[in-house]
Amino acid sequence: QQQREEAEHRQPQQHPDISLTHHAKHNIKAPLTGFALHTMADKDDKKDLAEGAGGWKKFIFNPGTGQFMGRTASSWALIFLFYLVFYGFLAGLFSFTMWVMLQMLDDYTPKYRDRVSSPGLMIRPKVGSPLEIVFNKSDAKSYEKYVTALDGFLKPYDDLIQARKNILCHPGDYLRQPTNILIKKACQFNRTMLGDCSGANNSSFGYNEGTPCVLVKMNRIIGFEAGAGNNPIINCASKKEPQVDVKYFGSFDKMYYPYYGKKAHVNYSQPLVAVKLMLGTNETNRDLMIECKITGTNLKNDDDRDRFLGRVSFRVHITE
Amino acid sequence: MDNTWVKLLPVETIPKIMNYQEQMDTEQQDHKISIKELVKKYETNLVKGLSSAKAAEILARDGPNVLTPPKQTPELIKFMKQMIGGFSLLLWVGAVLCWIAYAIQFGQGNHSAKDNLYLGVVLAGVVILTGCFAYYQEAKSTNIMASFHKMVPQQALVIRDGEKQQITADKLVVGDIVLIKAGDRIPADLRLLSAQSCKVDNSSLTGESEPQSRSTEYTHENILETKNIGFYSTTCLEGTATGMVISTGDQTVIGAIATLASGVHNEKTPIAVEIEHFVCIVTGLAVSVGVVFFILALTLGYKLLDSIIFLIGIIVANVPEGLLATLTVSLTLTAKRMAKKNCLVKNLEAVETLGSTSVICSDKTGTLTQNRMTVAHLWFDNQNHVADTSEEQSVQSFDQTSQTWAALAKIIALCSRAEFAPGQEDVPIMKRDVVGDASETALLKFSETVFGNVMEFREENTKIFEIPFTSTNKFQLSIHRNNNPYDKRLLLVMKGAPERILESCSTVMLQGREVPLEDDEIEVIQSAYLEFGGLGERVLGFCHQYLPKDKYPDLYIFDADSRNFPVSNLCFIGLLSLIDPPRSSVPDAILKCRSAGIRVIMISGDHPITAMAIARSTGIFSAGSETVEDIAKRLNVSVDQVNKRDAIAAVINGSDFQEMDPEFLDDILRSHGEIVFARTSPQQKLIIVEACQRQGSIVAVTGDGVNDSPALKKADIGIALGIVGSDAAKNSADMILLDDNFASIVTGVEEGRLIFDNLKKAIAYTLTKNMAELCPFLVYIIASIPLPIGTITILLIDLGTDIIPSISLAYEKAERDIMNVQPRNPSKDRLVNLHLASYSYLQVGVTQSIGGFLCYFTVLADQGWLPSRIIGIRLTWEDTTNNDVEDSYGQEWTYQQRRYMEWTCYTAFFVGIVIEQLADLIIRKTRRNSIFEQGIFGNKVLWIGLLSQVGIALLLCYAPGMQNSLHFTSLRVQYWFVAAPFAILIFVYDEIRKFFIRKYPGSWWDKNMYY
Repeated sequence: QQQREEAEHRQPQQHPDISLTHHAKHNIKAPLTGFALHTMADKDDKKDLAEGAGGWKKFIFNPGTGQFMGRTASSWALIFLFYLVFYGFLAGLFSFTMWVMLQMLDDYTPKYRDRVSSPGLMIRPKVGSPLEIVFNKSDAKSYEKYVTALDGFLKPYDDLIQARKNILCHPGDYLRQPTNILIKKACQFNRTMLGDCSGANNSSFGYNEGTPCVLVKMNRIIGFEAGAGNNPIINCASKKEPQVDVKYFGSFDKMYYPYYGKKAHVNYSQPLVAVKLMLGTNETNRDLMIECKITGTNLKNDDDRDRFLGRVSFRVHITE
Repeated sequence: MDNTWVKLLPVETIPKIMNYQEQMDTEQQDHKISIKELVKKYETNLVKGLSSAKAAEILARDGPNVLTPPKQTPELIKFMKQMIGGFSLLLWVGAVLCWIAYAIQFGQGNHSAKDNLYLGVVLAGVVILTGCFAYYQEAKSTNIMASFHKMVPQQALVIRDGEKQQITADKLVVGDIVLIKAGDRIPADLRLLSAQSCKVDNSSLTGESEPQSRSTEYTHENILETKNIGFYSTTCLEGTATGMVISTGDQTVIGAIATLASGVHNEKTPIAVEIEHFVCIVTGLAVSVGVVFFILALTLGYKLLDSIIFLIGIIVANVPEGLLATLTVSLTLTAKRMAKKNCLVKNLEAVETLGSTSVICSDKTGTLTQNRMTVAHLWFDNQNHVADTSEEQSVQSFDQTSQTWAALAKIIALCSRAEFAPGQEDVPIMKRDVVGDASETALLKFSETVFGNVMEFREENTKIFEIPFTSTNKFQLSIHRNNNPYDKRLLLVMKGAPERILESCSTVMLQGREVPLEDDEIEVIQSAYLEFGGLGERVLGFCHQYLPKDKYPDLYIFDADSRNFPVSNLCFIGLLSLIDPPRSSVPDAILKCRSAGIRVIMISGDHPITAMAIARSTGIFSAGSETVEDIAKRLNVSVDQVNKRDAIAAVINGSDFQEMDPEFLDDILRSHGEIVFARTSPQQKLIIVEACQRQGSIVAVTGDGVNDSPALKKADIGIALGIVGSDAAKNSADMILLDDNFASIVTGVEEGRLIFDNLKKAIAYTLTKNMAELCPFLVYIIASIPLPIGTITILLIDLGTDIIPSISLAYEKAERDIMNVQPRNPSKDRLVNLHLASYSYLQVGVTQSIGGFLCYFTVLADQGWLPSRIIGIRLTWEDTTNNDVEDSYGQEWTYQQRRYMEWTCYTAFFVGIVIEQLADLIIRKTRRNSIFEQGIFGNKVLWIGLLSQVGIALLLCYAPGMQNSLHFTSLRVQYWFVAAPFAILIFVYDEIRKFFIRKYPGSWWDKNMYY
């Protein structure tokens, strides 16, 4: 049966010869063309194809030798076992080297902080598109998510909670703490410090009046003393004329720095600056691009590539 | 199964040969018909020739008398082929995907993300660059050939309008009357109208090295055998002739052979097959892994854009972009090395083919032999004397004291018309040019070495009369004045066919004394003659006679026609035999071939006895191997009674061949180990080559003549002779032997085998890191971690750090004596096999990936991102609007800060791979032996490779501007050593692997771990 299969496979190779006999008639003058024909038949390719198809099936499963994909079951088992042992060993070695590497790390501070040399700025609320605040001031539903987000974000800053967990510090002084004390103290940052933006006077943070509050926060960096001696100053402005009126509450006071990391500084309260955009009717139904920049000796705010280093831009669009 | 195979082919082949023979008979009748009919047929005039007008008319009808050059592939198509061959197609897909990804991003309003646009451009650039490189390499090797094409336009002396005219040969038309003299190349196929002692060299057509005499007689019905035809492109050696052109250009016999050659498709070279196979494997892997992960990514909920980017990454990681260029460079380096050893390779891929060769079909004349007649034996004083036949022939050591020898030497010196061309006093005798035929040249050089200045000697013994050699009288005779002052008799000397000389003799000289020639003495001479003849040598007899002074005074007028001088009762002096001796380097080379498992088959146009003699003396027939005829002779039975399987050796006469079907030929090839084909025609050569290929052999064919060109083309590697080879042969060949020496082929084989092994190593080296490039992508998709290595970084490994090291493996010396193993079996010993792939990908590659990941995790953890934090972080990590992402220590990162962090990871992973590739390069020096056995410092280039790898990596990491252009960051020094444990592991593991392979050959380990 095999023989017949083989023969069938070879059948196609005769076709080129047949087709080429026409050629011979045209070229009868050349005495050797008859011979040339035979060699011109490009039979090898077809043969390979034919054999390939037959060989493929046989490769998947060869009933004669019981081989599946070129190996018998026991051979497969053996190779499987080999790779099991091999990969087991590799996994062990990998785990061991990773363990050694992790042992060399400090639990409180990362080994290097050169990738975060200067802090970035970010705003709250961060809902949906994080850098956009779009709402209808007469439609409570449209700004509800911002209000909830702000409320939630400010919860840990409730005066009562702060008073219970954190200490009162001297404004204008860095709160440097000795390294031998593992658990570091944190300064109080009370929600009420945010004044009109604390939510105490206006539970919807001015969103219902078209004067929304936006919180600006500066990224935490372990050991970073913001301002290097002077309090960092924040300034927000519209990128295009006309300018908008802005009110600031809270501050990035030096007493909130340095940060000692989340393990040592469990109750750390990140200082915030609330920006209240005093928008009038002129500014409704219009796209506003607001940029907040922080200024201080060791604070970068004009990096070409990093548009969030010491600054943050966001879009405000209020409809009526 | 085999039978069906065999039976199918003969059916095709045999009728074609018959067909060809028939066509020859029916088409080419011009040698049979009378000259009158011929004149009528071609409307010409024997005296006046054609009129110019008529000639112009025929020229317009038949076209110029030139061979149509083989069709050239247009340059543009060649270039395009390079652009889509190999991995190029896959990379194009990658580039297009990049642009699609860019278009999607652009459509989504993200105008600033140009990364994908650039990556697409880079990928396209890679394809175009490697394509151009390959095209340039190919063009360069074809350029070597361009010089062979430039031929000086040939001139022909023709009679037209009743006048002799010199015209260029391409203007010749059928019916022209052409005049030929010695030294001319015959400008078209001619039917000879007159011939004066005309001899032609048909070797380029028939392979027969003997000059053929030409006359006007119709002697054979086969046009190739008949004497009245002069063939286009053959040379007239002596005499003059007039002929009528009967066919021109492609219609000539040589044109037909050229057509035959151009009809033969160039076979794909074994290395091309291997590379295709390898490209298939890698492409298959890339596409299947790519598609699987594309689908996986989509089902995992990734966006289409992300999935496309994954696909690009996987393709780029999987394709060894630099490998094809590396292979080309390695082959080029070997080709250069081979060119220094006198093997000029036309087709780069042919470099390796020679290494895979399992059968060499060698031409006899010129390749195996020195292609010049040389004195092999002498017989005088009832004794055999052996002459030195080596190339230098400085000393002839046989006994030269006998008086008979002095007489013989005198005849050899005097009875000859050959002369040295003037102005060659400083040239060694063996290298001087001689005017005269091959035998006379041999005799002249022989006597010059043993005798001193022959020309001076001839002047002292002035020739006063001579009868030149003709095929009818079969002797040459001359009469000289004697330079001996005491003996003023004239001396008659004569040489010729031994039987003719013996007839003329009545005495014989023994130890300087003349004794009567008795019957038993004649028998002794006869048996010596037969012995030499049996060795395939051409035997000449010599005799002389001093003419009595009284009868033949000084001023006696000799007359050839009346024969007024003695031509009988002469004194027999001795015999001398000539042979075209084997080159002295050949027997050794054939021995090497044999130990390398290569079968050498001799295909000769010569007589079977000559062919067999050369086969014996070169070792193609090993000592003690017998042919059927030898066995029959030994057992004293008839040839039919001998079992053919008992005979190792076989001499096949080409003239018996036509009756044999290829099935019989297959049988011969299978049952005899040592085969010589004699008297073969170009078509038969082709059939023999095909038969060898049918047996699965990789066949090398050597040849010099036009007649060899079809076989050269059909062969897996055609080897043309550079010195004596014809342009047609050089055109059809893949390689040119610059020194025509068979031994050069053997060095070629060695280089070819070495490069195959070394390419294997280079591929294994290159493939390994592809796994380390692929794994990051897979983990990235599955574990949603920040991308460990960028696409550009991958390209910089493939095309930057890895190129020189992989080329340096081409300089690695052989691991063992590669000339003592069988040639590789093309169907089993693949360049890239499953074991190579699995060892490279699944073992070393995976180890490398793990080392890379260790670097990656270390860098991240040191900056505050512990592994627990980064798993699953991908979406947050890559969110450009999220600029306060918290790390494991509570610090917050902007997007750009995370990007820089990611680039540091790329760099760390890159450095990890580079460090591990150093180990990988060292382990790839050997596949079986320990590195320490091979010598760590043996391959200087490899160390340059290692240094270059580190150097390029340092440059990429620390050169200014790398961060924003290529996303490399200045890495802290300690990270260079993070992957070192894994590099050491790779080295140790491979040593262990090799140790067990050596210790337990044939074991499970050996079978599964050796690649």
